[in-house]
Amino acid sequence: MSLELDQITVTVPDGPETRTILDTVTLRVEAGETVAVTGPSGSGKSTLLAVAGLLQRPTAGRVRIAGTDASALGDRARTRLRGATIGIVYQAANLLPSLTARQQVEVAAHANGRLDRAARSRAEELLVRVGLADRIDARPEALSGGERQRVAVARALMMEPRVLLADEPTSALDAARGEAVMDLLLEEARRLGAATLVVSHEGGHTRLVDREFRLDPAGTSVR
Amino acid sequence: MYVALRDLRAARGRFVLVGLVISLVALLTTLLSGLAAGLVDDGISGLRRLPLTHLAMEDGSDGTFSRSTLTDDDLASWEDVDGVEATPLGASFVNAKDGDGTSVSLALFGVTEDSFLAPRPEARAALAGPDGLVLSDELEGQGIEVGDELTLAGSDVTVPVLGFTYTGSYGHVPIAFTQLDTWRHLFYGDGARGRFSAIALHASGTGDDVAAALDRAARESGTEVLTKEEAYAGSPGYTGETQTMTLIRGFLLAISALMVGSFFTVWTIQRAKQIALLKALGGTTAYVLRDALGQMAVVLLAATVVGAGVAVVLGLAIQRSDVPFRLEVAPVLGSIALLMTLGLAGCLVAVRRITRVDPAGALRSID
Repeated sequence: MSLELDQITVTVPDGPETRTILDTVTLRVEAGETVAVTGPSGSGKSTLLAVAGLLQRPTAGRVRIAGTDASALGDRARTRLRGATIGIVYQAANLLPSLTARQQVEVAAHANGRLDRAARSRAEELLVRVGLADRIDARPEALSGGERQRVAVARALMMEPRVLLADEPTSALDAARGEAVMDLLLEEARRLGAATLVVSHEGGHTRLVDREFRLDPAGTSVR
Repeated sequence: MYVALRDLRAARGRFVLVGLVISLVALLTTLLSGLAAGLVDDGISGLRRLPLTHLAMEDGSDGTFSRSTLTDDDLASWEDVDGVEATPLGASFVNAKDGDGTSVSLALFGVTEDSFLAPRPEARAALAGPDGLVLSDELEGQGIEVGDELTLAGSDVTVPVLGFTYTGSYGHVPIAFTQLDTWRHLFYGDGARGRFSAIALHASGTGDDVAAALDRAARESGTEVLTKEEAYAGSPGYTGETQTMTLIRGFLLAISALMVGSFFTVWTIQRAKQIALLKALGGTTAYVLRDALGQMAVVLLAATVVGAGVAVVLGLAIQRSDVPFRLEVAPVLGSIALLMTLGLAGCLVAVRRITRVDPAGALRSID
């Protein structure tokens, strides 16, 4: 099992009360499996992704990434684990303004202390694979929305993650471009054999994934 | 510094602007260092050059020659102290006029011809001859020549110029050496009664024995012993000038630290989501701190070196003028190091923010 979310509960302070975002949610994703997380706004889809990506600690419950219980780890170890095993594609491309497309991808390896000649070749290879062979040295301001999101996909794949997470990665793109990016993301995820979790709006790309995991407005899983 | 260096190139206008301000502070700080060193030189270079280690002065004089009067009896207490050479020194300020009526101010030091204060043979020879003055060589450039007669204001005594030597200045006035007897005559007239200003001491060694011997002799003679450095404070204006310069430099450095800190704090706030992204990509807090601090250090170092470099060039030009200015390597490097240290200290607020950036912030757009 590559990704296990076990009895995840997330509550946040809300004035004098606490509000439950996720309530004892359990989800397991096998290596190579793609799952779409759906649900209405406010159902906790992005929070679930943040917990799965070790970006946020749950109030209760356990997260296992590639067999490692991340709940027991300190911040530094969680960061290391995240960098080595998890790739994330965000709603917006989240590219660093001063870096070229090549550097956007390379920085993932650099942050993990693994930027060597092989990593540089891999970054270029990934950009070619996502269709940006002629945009390798372009900065974000020179790229279209679709091209930026392709760079973000390449960056997420750079460390050959065991877990790939995507938070509505096509929401800023038109239908045709969105579908192309989604196809690319899932194709690469399957090629890598990564457990993939895609947060998607209602009626989104569920037909492209292996199964759907739906959250109800109360933050509990309904299937 | 993968992102930091590329940020510097991409946002060079912003960094050049803050770098320019840091350069100006470095320029001012370095120029002030030169000015402070020049003023100190102008105030005490003559005293610093004298081959003495301590001065014994009248108790309570605080290193001020005009407040100290000692006699040959006081000197006697010092003459038998082991490891310590003692010689009388008369010191006073006088105004003199040459034959053309041009007025010059002098710090007149009276020493005996066999004094260790006059180590050069030509100085001893001059002091052993007839009454006269050995002037600071800076007066040679003002049209005074050997053989000229100077009339000293007050006493109306006329003395010839015997020669010039590098004597430096004291209290911003060029030093003139004369025989102790001549000095006594000029200062006290016929009623000198063996008086002079202070006893110059040369202690061989710096051990506890010497210190104890100096203390004992001071007690016995009822005098106060000051090290040469402590005696600098007696130079007119010395304490005020050095304190003012130190205060101005301190303010400049504090302003610089505040400014650098503010810039990098605002810059860090603007970059918070980028930092979150780097953390989300697997960058540890140490990684993003290295990146950010490296960037700050590069900007600080480059701007400070440029500013100090321009100041050195300007300083070399100023040194050729009459402005008291002296550039020394150690204070310039010290200013750079201090500016860097305080600048980085100013960045601590930014550093604190960086450590607190939540990687979950990457879920929000930074585009």
